[in-house]
Amino acid sequence: MASEIEKGTKYIPEMAQSEIDELRESIKAASIKVIEDNIKRMKKAWKNRPKAMEYFDEISNFFGQREKEIKEQKAAGKKVIGYSCIFAPIELILAAGAIPVRIGSGWYDTAKLGDRIMPVEICPIIRSTVGAKMVSLSPYLELSDAVVIPLTCDGRTKLSEILSDYKQIWLMNPPRVKDDPHTLGMWKEEIQVIKEKIEKLTGNKITRKNLRETIEMMQNATKAFRRLQDLRKGAPIINGRDAMLVNQTSLWDDIKRWTQKVNELCDELEKRVEQKEYSSYPDTPRVMITGTPMIWPDSWKVPNLIEESDPQGVIVVDEQCSGDRILYDPVGVDEWTMSDMLNAVSERYLMACTCPCFTSEHGNEDRINWIIDRIKEYKVDGVIYYVVRGCILYAMEYARIKRVLDRMNIPVYYLDTEYTREDVGQMKTRVEAFLEMLEARIDI
Amino acid sequence: MVISAGIDMGIQRVKVVILKDNQTIAQSQQFSGFEPTKAAEQAFDEALQKANLSREDIQHVTATGAGVGMVPFADSTVSMMGADARAGAYFFPSARTVIDVGAEDARAVKCDENGILQDFVVNARCAAGAGTFIEAMARALEVKMADMGSLSLKAERASSINASCVIFAESDVVSLIHREEPKSEIARAIFDAMAERVSSMVRRLGLNADVVLVGGVAKDVGFVDSLKRRLGMEILIPEEPIYAGAVGAALVAAKRAKRRQ
Repeated sequence: MASEIEKGTKYIPEMAQSEIDELRESIKAASIKVIEDNIKRMKKAWKNRPKAMEYFDEISNFFGQREKEIKEQKAAGKKVIGYSCIFAPIELILAAGAIPVRIGSGWYDTAKLGDRIMPVEICPIIRSTVGAKMVSLSPYLELSDAVVIPLTCDGRTKLSEILSDYKQIWLMNPPRVKDDPHTLGMWKEEIQVIKEKIEKLTGNKITRKNLRETIEMMQNATKAFRRLQDLRKGAPIINGRDAMLVNQTSLWDDIKRWTQKVNELCDELEKRVEQKEYSSYPDTPRVMITGTPMIWPDSWKVPNLIEESDPQGVIVVDEQCSGDRILYDPVGVDEWTMSDMLNAVSERYLMACTCPCFTSEHGNEDRINWIIDRIKEYKVDGVIYYVVRGCILYAMEYARIKRVLDRMNIPVYYLDTEYTREDVGQMKTRVEAFLEMLEARIDI
Repeated sequence: MVISAGIDMGIQRVKVVILKDNQTIAQSQQFSGFEPTKAAEQAFDEALQKANLSREDIQHVTATGAGVGMVPFADSTVSMMGADARAGAYFFPSARTVIDVGAEDARAVKCDENGILQDFVVNARCAAGAGTFIEAMARALEVKMADMGSLSLKAERASSINASCVIFAESDVVSLIHREEPKSEIARAIFDAMAERVSSMVRRLGLNADVVLVGGVAKDVGFVDSLKRRLGMEILIPEEPIYAGAVGAALVAAKRAKRRQ
């Protein structure tokens, strides 16, 4: 290899420490404000917001209790393993005694920093993640000892290269075709390799007993998640963005405690079902969101619009890797042997996933079927197909999904946006027209 | 008897229509300027005067348009797309697609025979598909905006310009002028480029006949000619397309007034 390649960093330009510090502090302050504002709006829209939500408000703060907790555990010798996407096998990370945290970035302000090294056509999630790293903004990325980056889309593939300027990166190579027996075999090998890397970093062997424990722990999380989801199937008992926040905090919270807190929330909500204490009118148009992940806090722009619009909508379900896809499927184990458990983990992370990075001879049918089933189950009135500019895979699948939904007579609206706050006015017009249309259809 | 009013708060102009049993009895418009609320008051009062009515006679006022929130005396609001759908089916009951090209944006809606909105697309991020594009290009060509249409109809072919953005298009036009291409051919290229953007937007909805064109730009013969060619079908245009949004809003207002009676 020519020595020129090895000199210095690969991608990120040199920046003065004073500039880094200044940018970080100002973006951090702005982000805390956005988080507070989102929570204030969620409280305002849901007069009788349950007390149990307060826990999730606290955990939603990237610069709060959870950061402190992870820092302390890290100081006590625990390893932190970041991941960019939900293909990373959480059960294995937990079984080795490490802390898993998702590192994808939803900060609009850092996307502008990413523009310094990438053209604006690139997915803003990638630009924002790089920008966050440029100024060391993301506590979870900063605390990570290694970062798992599954090469799902082109953006994440190159993100891994850029982040390798700073961090130990573990690549995973999910196959693009999943219904082929030999690709599952390849993926199992990927899982095995990651397992060995986790063991080496932590110095802890993943034992049969530990893995069973963490699989069961995650199964309980799925149970709690599904309990909450079941509550969203009837008349609105929780606002969609509150449920979305609950689901998303599972990506960085202590999962055992998270499960307990979700169950506490469900206890409270189940009582409300009996008392018919709804979060909005029972005939509020029911919306599904699908598409690009909506990462807390800045991307709450869209859920805020939907649930504060006039007429109002309620998000009852989403098909996003930032929401309902995270915990929807449990790892299904037949026998608690090591090889069976690893097989089950591999299958769960590959086969159950409805990411648009997949295709088959019949197209990405799993995703379409998932959407169709949830529309029926949650009595969805209309679908918002959310795409950020540069998110090519979701943008491309829209045409087919629209045709399927047209045949089902389910309105779908393609809402495209960027990591910016400037387009809220225009988006509001479009969202309101869509909800007005859904409301008119309900009236008939 | 139901008397209703619709107010369309456009970016450039405020339009007011008063309906009596769904028939227009008065209309009025004002430049929005820097005080859209004041402009709305003025346009409304003017329309009332024409109809010989007072504010108390109007049973329901519905506002629409970009500045929909700036009408303190409105009883309700409706989206621009909902208003377009109502107006399209009102002017032409056979309408299934309504295209609205205004000063700053363009949109297309799909509607049913009752004027209920079924689907819509908008082009709000780029002015290259809207009226201000014609204005900017007319300035570059040093012709009056009103003359652009008839000028373009004289051309037998169109020059080639980059239509992705007003700014790029303007610099293209400047270099075409330097190359001394006929102004008529440049004008036609400008309308073709606009029509291209609008028609690809409409095609995303599916091309359902009949197609109705409303909004201020529907008055421009150059654009209408280009759009017809791009869509490959006839286009229906109401007599006063600029008032379509206000008519749609007034129809919604009438419906809401009846519901309250």
